This record gives sequence, C-alpha cells and structure tokens, in this order.
Amino acid sequence: MRKWIPWVLLAVVAIATITVAAWPSGGKQSASARAHGLAAELRCVDCESLSVADSSTVSARAIRADIAQRIRHGESDVDIRAYYVGQYGESILLKPASSGIGAFVWILPVLVLGAGAGGLVVALRRWQRTPRLRASDEDRALVERERELDA
Amino acid sequence: MKGISTRWIAIGVAIVVAVFAIVLATQVSTDPRAAANRSNLVGRPAPKFDLPAFDGTRVRLAERAGKTVVVNFWNSWCIPCRQEEGALRAFQREHARDASVDLVGIVRDDSTSTAGAYAKSHSLNWTIASDPGSSVAVKFGTRGQPETYVIGPSGVIVAAHYGPLTVAELDALVARSQGVQ
Repeated sequence: MRKWIPWVLLAVVAIATITVAAWPSGGKQSASARAHGLAAELRCVDCESLSVADSSTVSARAIRADIAQRIRHGESDVDIRAYYVGQYGESILLKPASSGIGAFVWILPVLVLGAGAGGLVVALRRWQRTPRLRASDEDRALVERERELDA
Repeated sequence: MKGISTRWIAIGVAIVVAVFAIVLATQVSTDPRAAANRSNLVGRPAPKFDLPAFDGTRVRLAERAGKTVVVNFWNSWCIPCRQEEGALRAFQREHARDASVDLVGIVRDDSTSTAGAYAKSHSLNWTIASDPGSSVAVKFGTRGQPETYVIGPSGVIVAAHYGPLTVAELDALVARSQGVQ
C-alpha cells in the first residue's frame, strides 16, 4: 500500500498543475483587450505564420477594425469566432477547435502521454518481478573450494 | 505473453500513425488557392457593398439584382492580376451589350490613386471601385488577389476562384450562374 503513495502524490500534483494552468483567469476584460485577444486567435489571411493581432497587412487591419466594431455592437467572442470560421473556415483559427476533427489534435498528445506512462508502468513492474538470483548450496560449496585452493 | 503485447503495441502505434496521416492528408491545407476555391461563401447570399467607383459614381450590389455580377478583387502591383487583365478585357468586350452580366473590379490592398492611375493608363473599361479599409474584401473572405466571385441573379455566390482566370473559365462560371451547364 505504502509503495503507491508517491504515485498518488505525483498524480495529485500533476492534475493540480494542469487545472491551475488551464483555468480561465477571472475578471471582465475591456473591449480593447477582448479585441486584441480575438485578433491573436485568428490567422492573418494573406501572410505566413502571423496572427491578425501581429500582422500589419491591410486585411489584418480590416479584420481588427471589424472585430472592434462587432464588440461595440454587442457580439460575444463566440459569435465573432463563429463569423470568421464561417467566412474563412477552421483554418482561420490559430488554435485548432476543441470539437469535431480539431479535437483530434488535442486528444492525440494525451493519448500518446497515457500510452507512454502505461508502457513505463508495465516496464517497471516487469523489472520488479524479475527474480533475484540466490546462491545455492552448490554455489557456496564451489566458492569454498576455490578459497581453500587459493589459501 | 511478451510477443503478444509487443504485437499489440505495434498495431496500436500503426493505427495512431495511420489516423494521423489520414487527418493530415484530408484536413490540413496551406494552399490559399485551394482554400479560396472552396470558399465558404459559395451558396450563400453575397455580402452587400456600396463603394466609390473610379468614375465618381457609387457601385452598389443591390442595384445589380437580377444580373450575374462578376466581382474581381485585384490591384496594380500584383503580377497574376496583370496576367488576368487580357481575359477580363476580352470578357468585358464580349458582354459589353449584355445587360444580364456586370463585371466589377474592386481594388484590394492598393491605394486608390495608384490603382486609379493604373486603370487609366491601361484603359480598363469596366466598373472599378476602391474599397477603403478593405472591409468588403474581408466580407468576401478574400485571401489575396486576383480573386473572383460570381454572384448569380438571385444574389447568391455561385463560384469563387483564386488566381487568374481565362475567358473560357469566366464564361463557364457565368453560364453556371445562369443555370446553363
């Protein structure tokens, strides 16, 4: 029973860390912070590997202005994201969606991590079960004979 | 026991890799041409626009209801736009007396003065409008230029194309918008 305690502690620490890291920070955001956050989630449509927030292209500036206007008109973040996915498809999102086919991208690392941890546990248990060799009476007699001969 | 578990692990890994490869092959695309050509806007009502034309008038989609409207996003510095220019010129000549078809150029990612000077020097004789703030280009979900949208008489987008078009391709898209295959 006692040998499981470190594993349980490790699991508790890991879950607590992931929960704290993933928990959304509270507090109501300002309109400009919301606009910047949404722009940072969207891929610049006519440049490589940049978000709309980081790009200075005309279309990125137009999208930033459009997001700000939509926020002023009372649209929610979900509505604004859905509008851009409707216009450009899922590829507009820098972070893959957590539903549908996009969920695969999030689930796969967890599966691989789980499989790796499982493999490690199996390997450790096998290693522990490996019988330790004990000296038999014949072995002892052999060692004694050798000592006597050396003496 | 050891042989069986190793085999199952190998099968599991193979399945994960195969599924991942299939998802990558079918879902991930960085080709803007492919993305634009299957625009999400096809089959949906075209975004309304009311833009200032180079000739001083306004270009309103609403005033073109009942017509097939070919909307071409272009600019003066884009080489593929220049490659497409001859086809647009021929298409415009072909439909100059056709009241059912309108060709509208919308400037994307260029200044009105530069694009206007280019249009004048190259005698582009179809309706061309500037798009201050690129709001209409964003409403159409454009990713670059040239990008062409064919809007049917009912106001629904029938086709989208990224890259230069030929006259034959333009004619085929217009025929599709009018129900002629």
